[in-house]
Amino acid sequence: MTSEQTAVPLARDQYAKPLVVALASGCAVAVLLGVYARLHHPTHYALDVAGFSSPLYAKAWLTTVAAVFAVVQLVTGYRITHGAAQAWMLVVHRWSGRIAVLLTVPVVVHCIYALGFGAYSARVLLHSVLGCIFYGAFVAKMLSLVQRDKMPRWVLPVLGGVVFVSLIGLWATSALWLFTTKGVHS
Amino acid sequence: MNRRGPLITLGSVVILAVIFLWANTVAGKSATSANTAAGKPATSTAAAVPATSSAPAAPLHALYAGRSSGDQVTVAIAVNGGKAAADLNSGQASEVSLQGSVHGSQVTLTSPNGEGLTASVSGPNMFGTVTGFLGQSFPFSAAQAIVEAVYTGRSSGNQVTLAVQTQGDKAAAYVCNGRTIEAWLQGSVNGNQISLTGNKGASLTGSLSGLDMFGTVTANAGLSFPFSAQLSPHPAGVFQARIAVNGLATRIGWAVLPDGTQVGLAVAGATKYPAPTLDLANGSFTLGGASFKAAPVAGNETVVSP
Repeated sequence: MTSEQTAVPLARDQYAKPLVVALASGCAVAVLLGVYARLHHPTHYALDVAGFSSPLYAKAWLTTVAAVFAVVQLVTGYRITHGAAQAWMLVVHRWSGRIAVLLTVPVVVHCIYALGFGAYSARVLLHSVLGCIFYGAFVAKMLSLVQRDKMPRWVLPVLGGVVFVSLIGLWATSALWLFTTKGVHS
Repeated sequence: MNRRGPLITLGSVVILAVIFLWANTVAGKSATSANTAAGKPATSTAAAVPATSSAPAAPLHALYAGRSSGDQVTVAIAVNGGKAAADLNSGQASEVSLQGSVHGSQVTLTSPNGEGLTASVSGPNMFGTVTGFLGQSFPFSAAQAIVEAVYTGRSSGNQVTLAVQTQGDKAAAYVCNGRTIEAWLQGSVNGNQISLTGNKGASLTGSLSGLDMFGTVTANAGLSFPFSAQLSPHPAGVFQARIAVNGLATRIGWAVLPDGTQVGLAVAGATKYPAPTLDLANGSFTLGGASFKAAPVAGNETVVSP
């Protein structure tokens, strides 16, 4: 791959298409999630995850674990971007990311299906918006990774940064809020 | 291989999301059908035989407290005869009061701003849905509370402040103007009627209507005042302290309104003076340089010495 790239350097414009596709897909996902969450009639009923006092706490802990993996992502991602990563770091980065996002799936399904896009307080509005941004940025990043040879170098760190910041923001506006207002327990 | 990784990740996220969504839909449907199955007989019975006493009807006077299934909203519902009132609170400074009626076991309430609440009474529980609150609908369940409630208010001419504490069918009250008039009252709640008496001809009679209490209170001076009081949240209540000040047995009473306003008097024999300020956080107060504690009065407490 690398030899190919050095042999035929890509002109600036050649970046455009894959990047636009990735970003446009990300935006589309974010908007669709938001619209669906707003329009879907909230059921207030969702599957419980066993072992927790309430669905709220199950969600809070899943998000917390995801946030911890996100920190791993930040550290390994930083090393990878600076070309200072060992092979095992790539594996760690990949798998910690996968686990983190997969952990958020039951949470987001409950959020969207049972509660929906809320705007009744600054915290809830911020959380709803960040949720859309997070999955949008995640999709954009995955699609950028597929075409990473044709991407400007800044794309992956920037998208990764957006994913990280939005996930930490999501955690702070939900799990952290729950833990500080209702106590830390399972 | 490398290039497919992100797509596999993306795909697995989508698949997991679809699985969860499907599972929730299935679970949601079965829960809904179970609800309708359980709800329907009660509804039809109530509709078919509304006049008979065997129809599952809401109690004459009761308070229900509960929360939405997602824990977003607390619901308090007061039932009085054919009338009902409710208070919705999301804990985020958004509070809504609804008014409505009771037919058989069905409770229907609305607010001027479009919020609605429908519920059916089933034994000691109430199940229903709040609609249009914060732009959303919330199913909720509420349980009949052991009616331990505080009603606070003022006489219509603002002459006296009163706090009434109820517990089950017992009630205790304190009426005071902060300077000269004060009376301790106790008695009972029967249906939506409350009737309390005190020393020297003091009395309070009233009726509960929704979240409100309307009636007449007669202080011991023989002064009668019509009053209205509302169901009031913390820190509202009746507080008292029996202490010795400079060797004099002193009784202090406070009627505390939900906004923290205190109206009280200290009585030592024939001497009356304004009650010291009560620290509502821990019930303490200072008098003559010493620190004391006041206690909230329970509805079934004896506050009128025979």
